[in-house]
Amino acid sequence: MFRDVTFGQYYPTRSFMHSMDARVKILLNILYLVGIFFITSFAVYGFLTVLLVVMIACSRVPLKSILRSLRGILFLLLLTVILNIFLNTSGKLLWQWWIFSIYDQGLYSAAKLFLRLVYLVMGASLLTLTTTPVDLTHAIESLLKPLKLIRVPVHELALIMSLTLSFIPSLMEETDRIIRAQKARGANFDTGGLIKRAKAFVPILIPLLVSSFRRAEELANAMSSRCYGGPVKRTSMRVMRIGWRDVVATLVMLIFWGGVITLYAMSGTLSPMVPWLYF
Amino acid sequence: MSIIAKELSFVYNKGAAFQKQALNKISVNIEDGEFVAIVGHTGSGKTTFVQHLNALIRVQSGQLTVNGIDLAARKVDLKKLRGEVGMVFQYPEYQLFADTVEQDVAFGPKNIGVPKTEIADRVKFALQQVGMQYDKVAHKSPFELSGGEKRRVALAGVLAMHPKVLVLDEPTAGLDPQGKKEILQLVNTLNKDNGITVIMVSHDMNEVYENARRILVLKEGEIRYDLPPQQLFAKEQEIQELNLEVPYMAQFVNVLRQHGMEADSELLTPEQVCQAVVELRNKEVGDV
Repeated sequence: MFRDVTFGQYYPTRSFMHSMDARVKILLNILYLVGIFFITSFAVYGFLTVLLVVMIACSRVPLKSILRSLRGILFLLLLTVILNIFLNTSGKLLWQWWIFSIYDQGLYSAAKLFLRLVYLVMGASLLTLTTTPVDLTHAIESLLKPLKLIRVPVHELALIMSLTLSFIPSLMEETDRIIRAQKARGANFDTGGLIKRAKAFVPILIPLLVSSFRRAEELANAMSSRCYGGPVKRTSMRVMRIGWRDVVATLVMLIFWGGVITLYAMSGTLSPMVPWLYF
Repeated sequence: MSIIAKELSFVYNKGAAFQKQALNKISVNIEDGEFVAIVGHTGSGKTTFVQHLNALIRVQSGQLTVNGIDLAARKVDLKKLRGEVGMVFQYPEYQLFADTVEQDVAFGPKNIGVPKTEIADRVKFALQQVGMQYDKVAHKSPFELSGGEKRRVALAGVLAMHPKVLVLDEPTAGLDPQGKKEILQLVNTLNKDNGITVIMVSHDMNEVYENARRILVLKEGEIRYDLPPQQLFAKEQEIQELNLEVPYMAQFVNVLRQHGMEADSELLTPEQVCQAVVELRNKEVGDV
């Protein structure tokens, strides 16, 4: 039942983006996410398309895997597009029937919103597609280090995160085993009404909960018997280093998003001169 | 009524890059009332095979009939099948979930549609079978029991379904010697007195040697040997090549045989071997 579920969406391969420093990837990802909100015209979305194509090429992740991440927002996407088409009542009236009417501005804003959401998710998914959860945790820990100054237990938080991640596969396996065992006792998870089905999960959830507590206790014992203490300064097995790829990627991203923000800030003076850039 | 497998094959992750042939054309007949042990290394296909018997894994290719139910058919009466074939997984005590022992044991029979009035009797009987006192434990939480007791309750939960075939995946793993002995005694009683077919997966060759009447050795998804214990472990060389351990009693018998003792009779338990040695000595004394 759960055998086919792989945790996270990391796509294992070797590429420019896979070899980048996870910290840099996170920061550039944030820049991307923020920057996308400064894009207001189709022309700039065109430039962004080029950038995204280059990014995807650098990641060597098949387009299919990237598009899969869009499934989660499919409903949101549909809803926003429909609402924008029908509720925006500025510009020229194009079509009308009963209480529904479509204006040209509505179409434009719907298209822009669609592009923004799709590109947002596609760009963001590249981070998790090219970075292992473990690297992500390390990177977050490293980036949050300054918070130690105000006594935020960064290391402990990162430890909790990586422990959570490392327990997921074994819990999956455990779930699978328990499901099989209860099925062998005639349990049925696939038929019956909503309440009956919800009830059918009790024989899975309780053993799972019990075994999670058991595992947690065992781990805690193992750690304290080896005198593990959080706040000690620790070295890491894999040291993260900034390489030439990170510099190149950062430069490209800074130039691109610098351009986007400049266009946005100077829209007052530039839009009469090059109107196509602001369409 | 028996278990008949013909050229049963199974491949994990079929078509993917990392596909794995778990079973390779397994053909075997297991008759009613047999006590069969399945041994082999991790990844030899033991667990895959036994999970087929309960339709937890559906037949990919080949044929499999369990007590007249065709498991290769598209639709299988799972309720009936799971009532016929009881499956006890490794560490079954980790499956307990109900508020009381009674409710947990009743879970299986309830699922396969046993009438309410009958369930109470079945629960009582099953707990007795595994050597637990109904009045003492029935209303306790299963989580209050000791490890060995939990395992017996889990076993009772399967027995209450009145299976004709009992499949056990390493039933004694992680138990103390006393607990092991009790479980094996119970399994033997079920096999001899109640006529339940027992199929036991195990890594402990000593336990297999003394209890099973027939041993299937699996390697890389194929049945390498299908022999009674004494004949199987007489092939000391071949067994060691399969990285299996030779049970102490078998080693002893093999040494005796090298020294000229005839070992035709059944020499499986320490008692049987002792008796044979004593008889041999008496005979020699008599000869002189």
